[in-house]
Amino acid sequence: MTELALQHYLAVGAIMFAIGLIGFMTRRNLIVMFLCTELMFQGVAINLIAFARYHGNFAGQAFVIFVLVIAAAEASLALGLVVLLFRQKNTLDADAWREMRG
Amino acid sequence: MQDLFAVKYSYLIPLLPLIGAAVSGFFGAKWLKQQSHWPIWLGVGASAVLSFALLLGMFQNWDKGEVVLRPDASSPEATREGHLSLSVTSHWYEWARAGEQTVIRPGDSPTLFTAEAAAFIDPLTAVMLCVVTGIGFFITVFSKGYMAGEAGYFRFFAYLGLFIFAMTILVMGENLVMLYLGWEGVGLCSYLLIGYYYERPSAREAAKKAFIVNRIGDFGFGIGIMLCFLIFGTVSFYGDGIGTITGVLTKAASPEFYNGLLPWQKECVFWIPFCLMLGAFGKSAQFPLYVWLPDAMEGPTPVSALIHAATMVTAGVYMIARCSTLFAGNHAALVTIAVIGAFTAILAAVIALRQFDLKKVFAYSTISQLGYMFVGVAVLAPVAGIFHLVTHAFFKALLFLSSGVVMHAMAGELDMRKMSGLRRVLPITHVCIGIGCLALAGFPLVSGYFSKDDIVAAAFSFHWALGAFLLLTSFLTAYYTFRLFFRVFWGPLVVPEAPAAEHGHDSHDSHGHRHKAHDDAHHNHEPPSMMIPLIVLAIGAVFAGYLNWPEREHSLGAFLAKSPSFILGDIVAARDPMPGFTPHGFGLESPGATAQPLFTSTMILGGLVAITGILLALLLHWWNRGLADQLARALDGVVTLVENKFYVDEIYQAGVIEPLRMCGRILYGFDRFVVDGLVNLCGWIPQLFGFGLKLTIQRGYLQGYATTMLFGVMVILVIIFLR
Repeated sequence: MTELALQHYLAVGAIMFAIGLIGFMTRRNLIVMFLCTELMFQGVAINLIAFARYHGNFAGQAFVIFVLVIAAAEASLALGLVVLLFRQKNTLDADAWREMRG
Repeated sequence: MQDLFAVKYSYLIPLLPLIGAAVSGFFGAKWLKQQSHWPIWLGVGASAVLSFALLLGMFQNWDKGEVVLRPDASSPEATREGHLSLSVTSHWYEWARAGEQTVIRPGDSPTLFTAEAAAFIDPLTAVMLCVVTGIGFFITVFSKGYMAGEAGYFRFFAYLGLFIFAMTILVMGENLVMLYLGWEGVGLCSYLLIGYYYERPSAREAAKKAFIVNRIGDFGFGIGIMLCFLIFGTVSFYGDGIGTITGVLTKAASPEFYNGLLPWQKECVFWIPFCLMLGAFGKSAQFPLYVWLPDAMEGPTPVSALIHAATMVTAGVYMIARCSTLFAGNHAALVTIAVIGAFTAILAAVIALRQFDLKKVFAYSTISQLGYMFVGVAVLAPVAGIFHLVTHAFFKALLFLSSGVVMHAMAGELDMRKMSGLRRVLPITHVCIGIGCLALAGFPLVSGYFSKDDIVAAAFSFHWALGAFLLLTSFLTAYYTFRLFFRVFWGPLVVPEAPAAEHGHDSHDSHGHRHKAHDDAHHNHEPPSMMIPLIVLAIGAVFAGYLNWPEREHSLGAFLAKSPSFILGDIVAARDPMPGFTPHGFGLESPGATAQPLFTSTMILGGLVAITGILLALLLHWWNRGLADQLARALDGVVTLVENKFYVDEIYQAGVIEPLRMCGRILYGFDRFVVDGLVNLCGWIPQLFGFGLKLTIQRGYLQGYATTMLFGVMVILVIIFLR
């Protein structure tokens, strides 16, 4: 077993991103879909951290802190929206809002 | 001259009525209400006082004028040299400036346009101002009693003030653009006041008709002003002064300037008077464009008196008199004006013979008298034309106001077949309207007699046929005027039934006055606020003629002849005389001295013609009314033709309005189907595209969108990596 290299980190990030993507594509539940988007975020964040460590500077970390802060703000907003949507139709099914298409 | 109060503060003359109009317009509806006449009374009254102060001041400076030299000093006719002109320019502020002054070679277009807000004050302006503000003031006084209780009381007075403002700008304007401003301003006020009873369709139609017919004339006027600027490089009448060759009129009078022009510019100089003339014909209701004036009687009667008889409609005469220099050397233009004026005079007089509506009779007689004035200016007797304008303003305002009193008393009824013997009901009005009729008919020694016969005499010296036409018109005028007078005021008493006008009889009610309940039989029909203006105007109508008494040293004619416009016009006319015609009417060399025998003979002739007309009317419309009806039956065809006003309105409807409307429909169809079709086609393409997207991609599934996005990202990545 060798030391952890860059590609290991990248693989973890890619796997997290893929799980999030698949989850987003297959599930109908708004909260689960929302969780999946968060998963994709973290996959990308791991990528950034890995490159920051690999290059030995803090640019990637600074990015990640930005991303996390924005993700937190966005999470509070999105959850509020989901709650509102739920109150409208008493369901979390995304397909219930099909009539919103343009 | 410069230090006269009224010259220094000349801007007050238009400004005060404008302030009055603003006050009663903005504060009338809520606060002033039935007191809305006060701002206008004060404003117009003060402006009238200033105008008279100006006139008197100019009289005091009678001999202190500026000498106008002939622009071509080389001419052998030295006798006409060095007339005293009386004029002053009162500068207010620079109104407009565009472009820059560059050196102009012959044939170049001017590069600098300036228009100054300034007053050019000369005898012509002073006399016009006194007529406008003086008669305007008495009419506003009359309006108080006449319009009392109307819903739009404040509106009426605000428009009236605005009108006086525009009219004073018109007569004071130092340049053509200011003249045009006033010209359009009075047109607007005329439109607003004709449509005063806007809830009545006929009033709306009449207002639109007046406005649109005037547009045709104003189009020509506008072109004329542009041509003036193009050729003369300025719009100012006199530029830097009478003696300099810097203004339109002084340049037009200068042969050096004319000879320096290129051929196409000379051609333009020839056509300028025709363009200006078109404007004058529209505003002053001459032959092809007179149709709006009879319909304009839809407005309240004081408006008919002020705008459509005394002042606004004479603007065309004023304009041609002011621009005499442009016209005097252009024989074709003069003949055109003379012919159209005489033709209009006789046409309108014939139509007036078979009108039954008091105001319509007076409207046609206004058109006819304006024809006289045009003949006056066309035969180079503008002083006579302006003199007739002044006397006409007095007696026609008097006649209209009197018919307003009749209408007031008869609950809006104006049909002379339904009334008779009113002198028992309206004694003062009877006397006043009698004086007005005498003046209009040209009865000896009443104002209209002097002014009309001045014009007739001048017309005879131009061509005998022109004079004969005018004499015939005088006869018809005397006849139809007294036909009205004897029918309405003499004979057995017949009063139209008041309730007929009360209950839903909108058609009878058609002339401006919706009268309140007429239950009180002893109601005073002649309140003092209406009678005082009437009496003042009647005095004016009798004595205005003596202003120009030939023996007087300081007569109106001699005063007017000091206007630089007339002096320069005379110089131009003398340089290029029309064959077989010696103008005498500029009144420059002791008026009446040279042409005295001619004047005397036409005066006797004119008086006889007027008396004959009056006697005929007496015979047919008082002595034996049955005879008149028999005569009318005998001449059935002619009478029908005249009663229908020679079908001119119908001809215009069929020949002008319908083709235009057809044209409009075709263009509408083109716009609707071809232009709109193309525009809609452009709109359809993206719509179709969007519809396709809606069916394929945008189906409302979030997952679908995510897939599409993923697919898009992958495509981009593939493109990036395979490149």
